[in-house]
Amino acid sequence: MKSQDTSRHPSVLPALIADTFQEASARWLFWGLFGLSTLLIAFFLFILKIDVVQGAVSLLGLQQTSHHIGDLERLVRMSYGRVAIFLYIWGTFLAVFASAGLIPSVLEPGRIGLLLSKPVSRTTLLLGRYLGNVLLVTANIVYLIVSVWVIVGWKTGIWYPEFLLAIPFTVFVFAVLLSVVTFIGVAFESAPVAVMAAVALMLISAILAQKDKVVRLLDSEWSRDLWKGLYWIVPKVWELGRAMMDLIGSRQGEWMTAAWTSAVFGLIVLAAAVRIFCKRDY
Amino acid sequence: MRPDFAIETAGLTKIYRSRFRGREIRAVSGISLRVPEGIKFGLLGANGAGKTTFVKMLLSAVHPTLGSARLLGLDAEAPEARRPVGYLPENHRFPTYLTGQGMLRFYGALSGLAPAELRQRIPEMIEMVGLAGWEQVRIKKYSKGMLQRLGLAQALLHRPRLLILDEPTDGVDPLGRRQIRDVLNRLLGTGVTIFINSHLLSEVESFCDEVAIIDKGQLALQGKVRELIAGCGYSLTARQVPEDMRSVLSPFCAVVELSDGGLRAQLVSIEALNQVIDLIRQGGGLIENVQSSVTTLEDIFIRTTQRAASTPEPAEVAS
Repeated sequence: MKSQDTSRHPSVLPALIADTFQEASARWLFWGLFGLSTLLIAFFLFILKIDVVQGAVSLLGLQQTSHHIGDLERLVRMSYGRVAIFLYIWGTFLAVFASAGLIPSVLEPGRIGLLLSKPVSRTTLLLGRYLGNVLLVTANIVYLIVSVWVIVGWKTGIWYPEFLLAIPFTVFVFAVLLSVVTFIGVAFESAPVAVMAAVALMLISAILAQKDKVVRLLDSEWSRDLWKGLYWIVPKVWELGRAMMDLIGSRQGEWMTAAWTSAVFGLIVLAAAVRIFCKRDY
Repeated sequence: MRPDFAIETAGLTKIYRSRFRGREIRAVSGISLRVPEGIKFGLLGANGAGKTTFVKMLLSAVHPTLGSARLLGLDAEAPEARRPVGYLPENHRFPTYLTGQGMLRFYGALSGLAPAELRQRIPEMIEMVGLAGWEQVRIKKYSKGMLQRLGLAQALLHRPRLLILDEPTDGVDPLGRRQIRDVLNRLLGTGVTIFINSHLLSEVESFCDEVAIIDKGQLALQGKVRELIAGCGYSLTARQVPEDMRSVLSPFCAVVELSDGGLRAQLVSIEALNQVIDLIRQGGGLIENVQSSVTTLEDIFIRTTQRAASTPEPAEVAS
């Protein structure tokens, strides 16, 4: 008998991704995300509407330290690093808020039943939605960072492509946090809880990143081990941001360990979300 | 080789367990059902009887606790088993941000249709369900009847061999029902198996070849509609019938309604009719009217579910 697993059909994944974009557009999330990014880009245009060197210097308030930096290129590189970390935090926060509702919405009664009746595996359905979210945010991050890069490059005359490293770093961190949003969305079907969990992880990551200082202050062995254990488990949003800034600012930065441990966390949480989704009755 | 049955279940059971209270709700209990390919089959049951849970288990939206299901010969748990299945759920919520055409394109793609096929099939289906001119309009502007017809179009888009409709005319006005029936009538003779889950007995009686009745999660009856309603019966009304005669008359009657001395009874044989008349007259009652009647699916349904009601409650089990 002729039968095929439509999960592998080439039209399934594009359809799921396109549906995510359409829903984001209809809920104004897509336009909200791009609107806020456009506001930020306009803000950059405004503050850089001054003399090239003066603009770069006054942007970051580095007049006092510029004589230590030495040359203009180095100054601009550092400035790029600081702008990148700002965009990294801004972009990640916005993306988490914008995407949190897009997972539970699929699970609404009356909608999920029809989706599950299609010859598509539950894994494909969930990962298609996840991928749609990642691509949606990637489009926004690319728009934001490339626009700022073009504005700064146009105004300073210094084109510094390393600044574009902010794109993969921001998208990667968002993808890891989206796995948490997906997990909470599937397990509890609640967008607000998903946002709270993702933002809490970002904050916890920043606290845990101070492990070298904190561990010295802890008096018991178990509390030190607990802190270190949590440090290795939780995605390293803070370290990745720091590494990105270093890479852009000075072309040096250790990011591999933070990246792979965060990726492992994201994959495990996403796998757990898929497992719950596959087991649950709708 | 084509399978003999479009739907085949063996001991299909769903038990919902409460995590905190330790209670079990047996929504569907050991249903073994065979639906031959190419027929129109009606699944009947009161609200909460377990029909929708049964259908959801067929489509793997709900995982069975026990038992198995096969769709057109394939294990229902496998995604490819749903490839030849079209489904219109009860209380569906289609994405309102889509237009009618966009909705068909989305669900058609998930059903495995290539873009070229979608371009050809969507206008055909829009035309078939009478929504021409509405395909570019957002779904949120559609009436209930239009939504049902659009849902039917998405269920038929990929030329399914098995069509599962969960309460397809529920909440739809008479004109809308007629339009849905017209669409379904066009499928007659095409070999498509139509499985309708409904509590609208007259519709099922007029449309379906076979029916099954689910009551409290259990399969109470299955048979061909023509055979089930073939038996003639008698209806009897009487006055001044003492209340305590209900228990005396019940064994002879398919249906007994007794209040304020007024009796209305359905009887399946002439022997039962005469015995009941004798008993009523002995008890001091007055026969008012006796006439032969044709059994309807409603009679069968009420008789079946009342019989089940007289047996102990199986649905809830304390653990």
